[in-house]
Amino acid sequence: MRVVHYLNQFFGGLGGEEKAGTGLESRDGAVGPGKLLEQLLGSDCQVVTTLICGDNYAVENREALTAAVLKKVRTARADLFVAGPCFLAGRYGMVSGALCAAVQSKLNIPVITAMAAENPGADLYREFIYIVDSGDNGAKMRDVLTRMAALAQKLMRHETIGSPKEEGYLARGLIRDEFVERTAGERLVDMLLKKVRGEPFESEMSPTTFAPVPKPPAIADLTKARVMLVTDGGLVPKGNPDKIQGSAATRWGLYSIKGCQDLDGADYEISHGGYDPQFVRQDPDRLVPLDVMRDLEHEGVIGELHEEFISTSGLSNPLSNTRRMGREMAAKAKQLGIDAIILTST
Amino acid sequence: MQLTLAYHPVTSIRFGNRLNLDGTVLMVSQDELRALVLEDALIQSVDFVIAAPGDSLRAGPVFDIVEPRAKAAGGSPDWPGILGAPQTAGNGTTHVLSGAAVTMLREDSSGDSRGATGYVLEMSGAPAAGSHYGTLQHLLVVPHTRPNISGAARQRAYRLAQLRIAVRLTQSALTIVPARTEFLDIRDAETRTGLPRLAYIGQIFSRQRKPEADEHILYGADTDGMLPTLLHPNEWLDGALVPSYHASIGGAETYFYQNHPVILELYRRHRAGEINFAGSVATIASANNFDRERNTRFAANLTKWALRADAAVLTKFGGGVPHTDLSETARLLETMGVKTAVQVTDLARDHKVESALLFNFPEVDAIVCIGGNDTHWRLPQVERVIAANSGLAELLAGPLEIDSLNVVGVANQQGASRLRSIVY
Repeated sequence: MRVVHYLNQFFGGLGGEEKAGTGLESRDGAVGPGKLLEQLLGSDCQVVTTLICGDNYAVENREALTAAVLKKVRTARADLFVAGPCFLAGRYGMVSGALCAAVQSKLNIPVITAMAAENPGADLYREFIYIVDSGDNGAKMRDVLTRMAALAQKLMRHETIGSPKEEGYLARGLIRDEFVERTAGERLVDMLLKKVRGEPFESEMSPTTFAPVPKPPAIADLTKARVMLVTDGGLVPKGNPDKIQGSAATRWGLYSIKGCQDLDGADYEISHGGYDPQFVRQDPDRLVPLDVMRDLEHEGVIGELHEEFISTSGLSNPLSNTRRMGREMAAKAKQLGIDAIILTST
Repeated sequence: MQLTLAYHPVTSIRFGNRLNLDGTVLMVSQDELRALVLEDALIQSVDFVIAAPGDSLRAGPVFDIVEPRAKAAGGSPDWPGILGAPQTAGNGTTHVLSGAAVTMLREDSSGDSRGATGYVLEMSGAPAAGSHYGTLQHLLVVPHTRPNISGAARQRAYRLAQLRIAVRLTQSALTIVPARTEFLDIRDAETRTGLPRLAYIGQIFSRQRKPEADEHILYGADTDGMLPTLLHPNEWLDGALVPSYHASIGGAETYFYQNHPVILELYRRHRAGEINFAGSVATIASANNFDRERNTRFAANLTKWALRADAAVLTKFGGGVPHTDLSETARLLETMGVKTAVQVTDLARDHKVESALLFNFPEVDAIVCIGGNDTHWRLPQVERVIAANSGLAELLAGPLEIDSLNVVGVANQQGASRLRSIVY
């Protein structure tokens, strides 16, 4: 197996911070930690090329560096690409993560790197690649390289990769399925009994903490505001012109209500599999409250209601979809000069 | 409340001239069952098919799966509130044709979020290995109802026919000495000291939808307006409950009320002297926040104060709204000092942990997650496709891409699933 190893100027032996501006250099064979890595990978593996680059140069010339590294790895006919370990070195970690992700996606060979969980490269790239948890102590080089070599071997042999805890990598935040011996009922009772007894137990899922969304400034004068209705209840014109999916929707639509005082169920349908749609079908204003918004408009409570509403289906939708659609909707509203949005859900 | 289950193992079902349990072979008279089913004027005709483990056979869409059982004299009626008076289930002796199933098909795919195929029964290959239903001897019932009747009436006819067949089959065993009996009794939970008291809280319906007209769920009641209520664990096992027509994500079947994986595991631990099984609460997922606050508090209070539980297992029925209610009930219990473990379904269609849960309560930290979104199969053509009409048969003929969530039993919500999510 042919291995290409990427190091920064320090681990590549060029020097410290004063050499951080050095451009990409290539050496035949293993250098520095690569020598131990080669031993640990076993006799059928050889570090054929070591690539060394200064951290500043790498960060400032990321595109050029990535192109150059891809070319070197391809030329070397590598079976494995290794970067680091980077420990807490932030620039080194970010570049190693980026290079591993690029090599994996462009050349489709196994890649591995290592860094501390606190390294900014970890959060940026852990979802895409296996990053061995190096901790912050550079003295643990042998231990880290041993785990990198073991995981790299498994990746090259296409073996099933165990849990982050078993293999020593940073959790990627991804989910896969596995059939297990015990039923969910047995696992539930077992977990609960351990919890009751104060014994350690392993939850099968962990919650995610989200950064709070800052409150926007209040509307200065509602009587002059342009207000828009947005819903995730799946109300679409008959025929569902944008083919918005009833579950895990990837699309949203913008639909005219110009001149309309009251929505008629005969003009609409509902693309959403998660609630009983009969009541909205009878009267779509129950979901998209056009009738009361018109009243508020006439009474002068709001400036005007925008002549279109936005709709999508909010059922079983993963965040990777909704985040994108939310950004698109917000950009659209900005572009239309909307001051306020009323979101309705089911 | 004491229940004796009298097990008669069935290793094969065969068609014959009369209904008879001959050793472990269940002989079935199609004429007799047909006459029974056609007593309901809504059903015009019916076909029966036998499916055994390993058969190159696919059937669907599945309406429900029921284990054949019948009550011995002296207990409650069979299926109280549905086939008989709504007297309390869970007492006396119930005969069980273990290893057998009465599996009802439907004439259309249920639609909703479960896709065109609905739930499919697969008897061979990887999907069969991933579902307990792949190990059973099935009597498939293929109904043909009158056209131009409502969906609610049609599904009610399926339910009644299926339960009647399941009871009739088991009556052949009432006079036979069972191979094994199991005694289900938790009275000693009140007298044994020093053991943690564990309870089960199960959602039996989600108010995301209104129940259909005359839909049977709890003792024949449709649960509309229902508050969380205490049930003896035996009631779940012995016919108090059937699932709503609208089961979603992974599904819930009558079979796993009868063989409830959580309740049976709690019984096992109770008998082993590890816990006192304190009892159970049946609850409902809510239509809105007002309803949620009321239901979750009722469920938590019953568990804490009526059952005096130290800890509780919670399962849900349906998708996102039930998930939220489940976690809120667990949160309330934890604040009351009752420890919890909850079971959730896989909501992360992008395979990302951040999309998996609809809650983030530090106390609700014991989570069993049924997988599903990462498991798909390419089903080959099989020798026999069983469906109620040619359109459905064509749909299921294969080769066919199918999600594990659409194979009945694989990602079951009642605790039967062996599929789990692994975070990596």
